[in-house]
Amino acid sequence: MKSLAVYWGCYILTSQYQYELSLRETMPKLGVKLIDVEEATCCGFLLESIDKFASTYLAIRNLSLAEKISKDLLTPCNGCYLSLSEALHRWRVEESTRSKIASLLRDENLFFKGELRVYHAVNFLHDSLGLRKISEAVVNPLNNLKLATHPGCHILRPSEIVSADDPENPRKLDELVEALGAETINYPGKLDCCGGPLLSLQPEKSYLISSRKINELERIGVDGLVVSCPICFKMFDSQDVIRRVAGGKASLPVVYYTQLLGLALGFKPDTLGLNLNQSPVEKLTSKISC
Amino acid sequence: MKDLYTMKESNLKMKDQLREESPFPWIQYVTSCYQCQKCTSGCTSMKHLELKPHEVVKLVNMGLIDELLESETIWTCTECLKCWERCPQGAAPVNLILSLRNLAVKGKAKLPENLLKTVSSLIEIGLIQREQRVPLKNLETVDREKLNLPKLVYPSEEFKGILLSMLEEVF
Repeated sequence: MKSLAVYWGCYILTSQYQYELSLRETMPKLGVKLIDVEEATCCGFLLESIDKFASTYLAIRNLSLAEKISKDLLTPCNGCYLSLSEALHRWRVEESTRSKIASLLRDENLFFKGELRVYHAVNFLHDSLGLRKISEAVVNPLNNLKLATHPGCHILRPSEIVSADDPENPRKLDELVEALGAETINYPGKLDCCGGPLLSLQPEKSYLISSRKINELERIGVDGLVVSCPICFKMFDSQDVIRRVAGGKASLPVVYYTQLLGLALGFKPDTLGLNLNQSPVEKLTSKISC
Repeated sequence: MKDLYTMKESNLKMKDQLREESPFPWIQYVTSCYQCQKCTSGCTSMKHLELKPHEVVKLVNMGLIDELLESETIWTCTECLKCWERCPQGAAPVNLILSLRNLAVKGKAKLPENLLKTVSSLIEIGLIQREQRVPLKNLETVDREKLNLPKLVYPSEEFKGILLSMLEEVF
């Protein structure tokens, strides 16, 4: 069994429990053992607006905790994936950042070599585990579903730092969905942002932005939207807020990829936390036997 | 030189300072911008901005930085990073905007209230929010314990001390 460290970030551990539940359930079934990075903190993403150095320090501190456990680190959150990857990049190229942070780490008896690899759930499943292994494990193919994917921003851009997928034509999440038997569509707004990072700054505008994608997909007609980031998920799943802020009749099932994977691997919906999704996921689950 | 709308004076020294001292190394290329507007054409927040991304770059290059520090524009970026990916000159307005945010914080600008809440939570527990109770479909609310998820292990007091003193220097 392959084992790797898992860093959850803030949103998943404090509110997006369905992502945590579904990842914890599905990974062992695919032969992957996850070891939690304990005493981890925020990845630093939100501090970036306040003080960039503090934000880089937080990211490196988390990486140094992970490095004690494994040389591979998995994070299921897009925002965390970029923060950790960017900090690791800077650690490797900027001598001054490296020495300043190393001395702060010593105050907590921490040490960072900078040799670990950071994966997002999407590129880990697609590249490291492989599509074949996933499709071979499927017991309940999702043949009747036509789905749209939302790859999100921070696993794609900037491609000089993150390289989870092609920045202008991402296909990995689609291929992962197709490996479960479902069909995926291409749509004009696929690369568009969920608006999430604006949530703590200007909440109304952030939901106006997320409403565009939901309303676009309602017009196109799909069975659901597949997401791989807790912030994006919150922005698209909170459709009562979208309806209030932007009008329209938003009523589109939104699921995490790991929830969909769990359904295809034969898990019951509640085990995967589907009863925590606020969007009408029954419309999706009623089309498959689970 | 003066901005005729706001009557703010240009300060080119401040521009050099911003460029040299920014903790975002990428902004050194800001002077290479030739206003192609590729950043603006893909900007997620376009509809909500007073100043468009290419205009932000132009204002910085003209030294009209005070004006930007007071503008809501710098707090309306979603950090989708399309401008970073697509800028042919490597100028990436998003890094400039984040630099301006850092500068505004140091200059005691009024920050969005929710942002301050997340910072105080960070100092207290290392995470941006406390563990929330969330509703199930039947409106019953549940927490980690109820869902049989492992108990959270928070960072040490030493860490909180380090972060606190780091942020005290900023605010």
